[in-house]
Amino acid sequence: MAAGKPAGKILILATESCAYPGADAVGQGHMSYPANTYVLRVKAPVLFPEKFYLDCFDKGIAGIIIMSCGVECPYEGAYEALAKRIDRVYELMKERGWDIRRLRLTAICTVCTRAFINEVKQMHDLVAELGPPGQEQQLAAAGSA
Amino acid sequence: MSTPESPKETTGTGKVGVYVCYCGGNISDQVEVEKVCESLRQLPEVGVARSNMFMCSDPGQELIIEDIKSGKVDRVVIASCSPRLHETTFRSAISRAGGNPYLYEHANVREQVSWVHHGSEATAKANRLVAAAVAKAALSEPLQPIRVDVQQRAAVLGGGVAGMKAALELADRGLEVILIERSPFLGGQVARLRHLAPFGEDAAAVIAELAGRVQEHPAITVQTCAQVEGFDGYIGQFRLQVRRRPPEAEEYADQLAAGSAAGAQLGDVVPFVGIMPQRLPENLEEQEITVGAIILATGMRPYQPLRGEYGYGDLPQVLTLPEFTRLWHAARSQRQGDLLVVQGRRIRHLAIIHCVGSRHIPGVHDEGGRGYLNEYCSRTCCTASLYTANLIRQTYPNTRVYEFYRDMRAFGRGQEELYAQASDSQVMFFRFRAGEEPQISPTSEHPTAPVLIRVKDVLTFNEELEVMADLVVLAVGQEANPVPGLVELMKLPVGADRFLLEVHPKLRPVEVAVAGIYLAGTCQAPFDVGETCSAAAAAAVKAAAVLTRGYVELDPFVAEVDLSRCQGTGACVEACLADGALTMVDMTVDGQNVRRAQVNPALCLGCGACVAVCPHNAINVKGWTLKQYEAMVDAIVAEDLAA
Repeated sequence: MAAGKPAGKILILATESCAYPGADAVGQGHMSYPANTYVLRVKAPVLFPEKFYLDCFDKGIAGIIIMSCGVECPYEGAYEALAKRIDRVYELMKERGWDIRRLRLTAICTVCTRAFINEVKQMHDLVAELGPPGQEQQLAAAGSA
Repeated sequence: MSTPESPKETTGTGKVGVYVCYCGGNISDQVEVEKVCESLRQLPEVGVARSNMFMCSDPGQELIIEDIKSGKVDRVVIASCSPRLHETTFRSAISRAGGNPYLYEHANVREQVSWVHHGSEATAKANRLVAAAVAKAALSEPLQPIRVDVQQRAAVLGGGVAGMKAALELADRGLEVILIERSPFLGGQVARLRHLAPFGEDAAAVIAELAGRVQEHPAITVQTCAQVEGFDGYIGQFRLQVRRRPPEAEEYADQLAAGSAAGAQLGDVVPFVGIMPQRLPENLEEQEITVGAIILATGMRPYQPLRGEYGYGDLPQVLTLPEFTRLWHAARSQRQGDLLVVQGRRIRHLAIIHCVGSRHIPGVHDEGGRGYLNEYCSRTCCTASLYTANLIRQTYPNTRVYEFYRDMRAFGRGQEELYAQASDSQVMFFRFRAGEEPQISPTSEHPTAPVLIRVKDVLTFNEELEVMADLVVLAVGQEANPVPGLVELMKLPVGADRFLLEVHPKLRPVEVAVAGIYLAGTCQAPFDVGETCSAAAAAAVKAAAVLTRGYVELDPFVAEVDLSRCQGTGACVEACLADGALTMVDMTVDGQNVRRAQVNPALCLGCGACVAVCPHNAINVKGWTLKQYEAMVDAIVAEDLAA
């Protein structure tokens, strides 16, 4: 990524019963994290089809963190269905030559403040390294030339 | 911090009203609120963008109400603190103005912007989040809440002071209450005390009064030896599986033996145990109960020091305050002179150490095998220590008392007086710093020999002092009574301190995130008995407000089929996570007999598992549609949004 350019945007899909309150808890603790992050409140991320993630990357979102409730999900079976879907998204990302680390499925609880910060910082570092979606293909092509 | 300017008129042509809160500087110290308003006014969807020092205040809400009534606005975006705090407030304001409360979206620019980002970054991010909220609001449809009948009955879990007080408050309002207690006894931790600081009320008398009224009240059913093993439903219609079983062999054996030894009958107070209101069950009993509201009064437990902590467990001269209270009771009944005698030992010098198991500091204190630190102040131990010191000095003037404290926190009515009284009674105070706690060592192997306490005393400018004591009493704090089963079943939020977590410590102090469940007493935080009763009464009143209305309105965020798009693939029915929520039915659409998906709103969870699998996007969760999320992402990545 060129120096001085703003960092790529990171979308955070945060469940309203776990990760969204977790993000609030980070704020209540005044724990700073990179500002290129946009938290969207979701009832359950199982709502999003594969195409949603691919479209986000096409639109320029550099990284997506799905902050789910994990096994604490209030909708029984939703997390398992979500995990399978994300596997399919990974396959589609590979077909497009995208680094699958741009999409991360994790579980964040209502008090997981350190885990929240950790996930955000890791994704922030990753998108800084990878640049915008699709740039990894250019880097790979340049490397093989 | 700048002050909000007078409201400006619109430049947009849409009817989304944007209202940005200063939050008294909490937001505006980092986010340039007026700049955000100015930027949002450029969006075509926005009709009005205004700011206020406190949007949640009456003047703030009036701005919204006036704009809706005047027709300038038909949907609302609030940019303020977390929606978890004031979503209800703003929905209510929209309703009062005659608007639809679901034509509303919220941008969290305090917890997720101004409290975590600074300067221009914060303003730019707030701008995008509010723009995303506008994009979602512009696609919102008016919705109607789902009305559900309420079972006019409450379950109270826990038979201590909080549980009994809450049960009585509900029952006195004409509501049926089922009081469920895990042990065979009513009274909880207060039953294990002798006197209540600061005024010295008889703990047993307080318990006896509450338990007596509970047992006599026709609207209250008590179930001891009972636990909730199953839970489902929602506010107004919770279903609890309650299991009542005889205690295991060693379970409550000491307490039951104490009751037998005292010849106690059902309903009698057993000192330091409680009141057994009914016989033990002989067999396992299971039943399902349906209630409209649940009050959690699962209480606390005293901190149990680790072996070796201040010599506890290694030195017989070291006891906790609750343990000493029992021995004091026995000593008083056999009083022989002006010197305290405990278990045959003459106590000339008694030391009390504060903050045991409380106010731990990461990096200073060691978890020591517990796996956690108690970073909070337990709030009641300073007063309990001072009360105990005064009692000893008044009763046994030849017993000297030393208090080792970090900070003296004797707040509240009658508590500062205890401190002054202790000073007048020649109680000697030593003050230590965190990480420099008093060190206790034996002076001989004989169990009755005094122990040596070494402390670096702040009050004498860090002089290292040595004190001999015949007895050391550890003023232990409060810990949450662990209820992992209920936490798991009811998806209860638990704080970092392991106490159950309210929605908001000031604005919604007895509610949890699960609607219809309320907190009473020390399951929430360390409280004294007075505070516990206040919290219990508050929880009961909140529950009663729901139960007496007879119905509740639930958010209408359930799946909805768009019949103009549905092709009847049935993929949504296969993906559905709630049995019966989605079915395929025969119907007529545009004159054609077709088979299409149909939603049962009462059973739909609103999770959206169906949404992702529909190839035609013919099903969505109302209020949270895929199109709305796509519009939010578009707003976040938009190039032309002024920062």
